[in-house]
Amino acid sequence: MSLWLLIGTVAIGQTVWDGVYTEAQATRGEATYNERCSACHGTELEGGDMTPGLTTGMFTSNWNELTVGDLFERIRITMPLDNPSSLSRQQVADVVAFLLKANKWPAGESELPRETFALKEIKILSLKP
Amino acid sequence: MSRTVSRTAPVWISLLIGLLWLNAGTGISGQQGQPSTKNGEWPHYTADLQGTRYSPLDQINASNFNRLEVAWRFKTDNLGPFPEYKLEGTPLMVKGVLYTTGGTRRSVIALDAKTGELIWSHSYREGKRAANSPRQLSGRGVSYWTDGKGDERVIYVTTGYRLIELNAKTGAIIPSFGTDGVVDLKMGVYKGIKEQIDLEAGEIGVHSTPTVVRDMIIVGSAMREGATVSTHNNTKGLVRAFDARTGKQLWRFNTIPMPGEFGNETWQDDSWVVNGNVGVWNQITVDEELGLVYLPVETPTSDYYGGHRPGNNLFAESIVAVDLKTGQRKWHYQLVHHPLWNYDMPAPPMLADINVNGRPIKALAQLTKQAWVYVLNRETGEPVWPIEERPVPQSDVPGERSARTQPHVTKPPAYARNILRVPDDLIDFTPELRAKALEQIKRYRVADTPFNPPMLGDLRGMLGAIVPATATNWPGGAYDPELHIVFAPAGNTFGSRTIVAPPPGFSDIRYVSGIAGRPFQEVLGPGDCCAADAGRRDREAPPPPAGGRGAGANANIAPSGADGGGLNPGGLPIVKPPYGLLAAIDLDRGELLWQTPHGDTPDNIRTHAALKGIDIPKTGQVGTSGVGLMVTRTLAVMGDPQITAPPGRPRGAMLRAYDKKTGQQVGAVLMPAIQSGIPMTYMVDGKQYIIVAVSGGNYSGEYLAFTLPANEK
Repeated sequence: MSLWLLIGTVAIGQTVWDGVYTEAQATRGEATYNERCSACHGTELEGGDMTPGLTTGMFTSNWNELTVGDLFERIRITMPLDNPSSLSRQQVADVVAFLLKANKWPAGESELPRETFALKEIKILSLKP
Repeated sequence: MSRTVSRTAPVWISLLIGLLWLNAGTGISGQQGQPSTKNGEWPHYTADLQGTRYSPLDQINASNFNRLEVAWRFKTDNLGPFPEYKLEGTPLMVKGVLYTTGGTRRSVIALDAKTGELIWSHSYREGKRAANSPRQLSGRGVSYWTDGKGDERVIYVTTGYRLIELNAKTGAIIPSFGTDGVVDLKMGVYKGIKEQIDLEAGEIGVHSTPTVVRDMIIVGSAMREGATVSTHNNTKGLVRAFDARTGKQLWRFNTIPMPGEFGNETWQDDSWVVNGNVGVWNQITVDEELGLVYLPVETPTSDYYGGHRPGNNLFAESIVAVDLKTGQRKWHYQLVHHPLWNYDMPAPPMLADINVNGRPIKALAQLTKQAWVYVLNRETGEPVWPIEERPVPQSDVPGERSARTQPHVTKPPAYARNILRVPDDLIDFTPELRAKALEQIKRYRVADTPFNPPMLGDLRGMLGAIVPATATNWPGGAYDPELHIVFAPAGNTFGSRTIVAPPPGFSDIRYVSGIAGRPFQEVLGPGDCCAADAGRRDREAPPPPAGGRGAGANANIAPSGADGGGLNPGGLPIVKPPYGLLAAIDLDRGELLWQTPHGDTPDNIRTHAALKGIDIPKTGQVGTSGVGLMVTRTLAVMGDPQITAPPGRPRGAMLRAYDKKTGQQVGAVLMPAIQSGIPMTYMVDGKQYIIVAVSGGNYSGEYLAFTLPANEK
C-alpha cells in the first residue's frame, strides 16, 4: 500500500527537467549546504583544489545519465566527509534540491522524496531531452 | 589449442631469457632474489628506483589494446567505515601477488595477481591521531623488501605517520621491526628550535610510498595544504632512512637546514626558526651506483606569501642529492628562489641515462607545475642545457621581498603553456567569446614569465595574477629508458593568484589565499578532513557568510560567476584548447617530440549552446595534471581525468594507449569511472595485466584489472 503511494509521487521516466523539487525545499537545502557542505565545496559550489565543484560542466559530466537517487546515496553514505551519514534523509533530499537548483534545473510543485528507490526513477540529464 | 601454444611461445622464451639474464647477476635491479620489472614484476611504486614507470612487457600492444577486457575488479568499500571515492594507489606485483593500500582507513591488502582474490588484509587503528592527519585516505600504496632468501616484507606509512612492516606472506606485523612492528615517525619531528611536535595532534603525514633500497627504507614528509594555514611556525620537513630489518634510524636530512648546516643563512633574520613545511611528499628516487638519493622538495610555509621568511629558503622547491649511506647533502638545485607560487616538486625526479651530442650523461628529469622539464646532470647537479637566471616581476605586496631573478629553462621547451599570451592564447571559437575573454582578462595582471607574483586581489579592482594552473601534479610522468623519451601529462590552462589579510584570529601569517570583498574561505586539501575515525580539524571553520552564499576565495581556482569576473567566458575555459595534454620530450635532443590532447571533449563543451554549428577540435580535459601514466615496451598508457558520454559509447572514462613515437592514439578501453591512480602492469603465468585504480563522482574506489581474452595472447 505505502509502496503504491510513494511511487505515486514520482512518475516513471521523469528527468531533472520535469520540476522535481520545490523552491522552498531548495531554500532549506541551501541553509544545510552552507552549514555542512560549503567548507569543502565552497560557498559558490565551486569546489577546491581537491574537492569537486558542484556546478558547471565537471558536475554535470560526473552525474549525466545517472539518477538523482545515485547522487542522493553518494551524499547519504559518505557526506559530509568529516561526519558521514550524519544528515537526515530529509536534509539530504533538501541539499539535492539545492544542487538541482544551482545547476539551473527547474523547480516544480512537489518536493523531492526521501526514498532512494523513488529518486532512482529520476534521471539526471545535462541537456534538455 | 595448438594455436594458443604457438602464440604464447615467444612470451615464454622472452620470460626465460629474462630469468637467465636475472640469474647472471648483471644490473643492480637484478640482484639475486630481488624482484624486477625485467621479470614481469612491478616491485616499486614507480616500477623501479629510477622513477621511470617503465615495464619491458609487450604482450599488450597497439594491435590488441582495444580487445582488453576486465579480468577482475577489487572494490575497496569495506576497507574502512565508509567507502572512499579517491583511490590513488598503484599496486606492486612480486611473485604473483599484488600489494597495495585501499579504503578510508588506508588498509593494506595482498591480492592474487591472476584473480584478484584477497589473500590477506591489514589495518591499524589509530583513533584521533589518524583523525588529525594532514594526509588522509588510502594513500598511494606500499613498498616491498626481501633479503632474497625468503624473508619478504611489505612496508607502509599509516595515516597517522607510523612506519609499519608486515610479513608479505601473511600480513602479520613483524614484531622485530621498531617497537612491536612499528616505528613512530612523529618522534624526532620538530617545529621551532627542536621542539618535538605532539604525537597525537602534531601536523605531519605522507601519501607517497617509502623508497626501499638495499636494506634501507627512506621516508619523506608532508603537511596540510599551504594556502590558508594558521601559522608559519609549522612542522619542519625532513627525510629519514631506517634499517629495513630493525627499523633503526640510519640518517636524517633536515630540509630546513639548522644552524651550521649548509644553507641555513638563506633564511634571513633567523627565519628558519619560525617557519615550517618544506616536506618531501612525492616519491624519492635513487641511483645505487652513484650512491645518491634524489629528494623532490616542496614549498615552505605558506604557499603564496613569504614575508615571514626573507631569503631564498633552501631547500624549498629544490632537488637535493644526498649520500645514500649518510644522508649528507652532495648537491642541490633550487628551481624556484624564495617560493611564492606553490611550484613545489610535484613528481618523482626521473633518472635517465641520455646521450647529448654523442656524450653520455647520467641525467635527472624533473617535471613541474610550471610546465618545464628541468634536466640536470645527476652526478653534479649542473643543468644539461642552460637554465638562465633572469629578472622577474617584483611583488608589490607589503612585507614581501621577492627574489630578483628566477631560473628559466631554455631547453627543452615548455611542454605545456606556462605563459599566457594575450590575445593569441584566448578562446576564439566565436568573436563574442573572444570579446568576453578580452574583457575578463583586463581584470588580471598578466606577465611574460611563469613567475608572476601573487597580488592583493580585490573584487572592486584587479582580481589576481595570472599563473599556469598546474601543468603536472602528483602523478608525475614516465620515462622510456630505451627511447630516452620523457612523457609528461599536463594541464594547459591558467589560474590566478590573489592573497588577502586573514580574518582576525585565523592566522599569524600576514596574507593568505583569498580576495578582498569576498567572505574568507579556508582552503582544504584532499585529506584535510576525512579520517576513518572522523573527528576532523581541531579548529572550527569560519562561520558561513551572513545572507547565504558569497563567492569562494580559493586562489587556486579562478573566481567564478559573471559578476565577480572570472576566467571562464560563457562557462568555457578562457584559453584555446587543448585544455589538457600528454607531451613527449626527447631527452637526447632536448626537444618536444609531440603533444596530443588527452581526453574527449567534455560534454558541457561539446553540447554548449554558444558553440552550435562550430567545429570544436578534440579539446582534451582540464584535469590532466591529475592523471599519470605508465610506459611499456610498446605503449604509453594513461586514463581520462573526466567522465564523458559522447555519441557512440556509454558514459565513462577511457584508458588510452598512445604510440610512443608519434602520440597517435592506438587503442582505448572504457572504464566506469575516471582514472584516480596511476596504471601499472605485470605478467603472471604468461599473461600480461594492467591494473588501474578508478573512482570519483558516484563511483567508489576500485582496482580494475585488464587483460587480453584467453585466445588472444
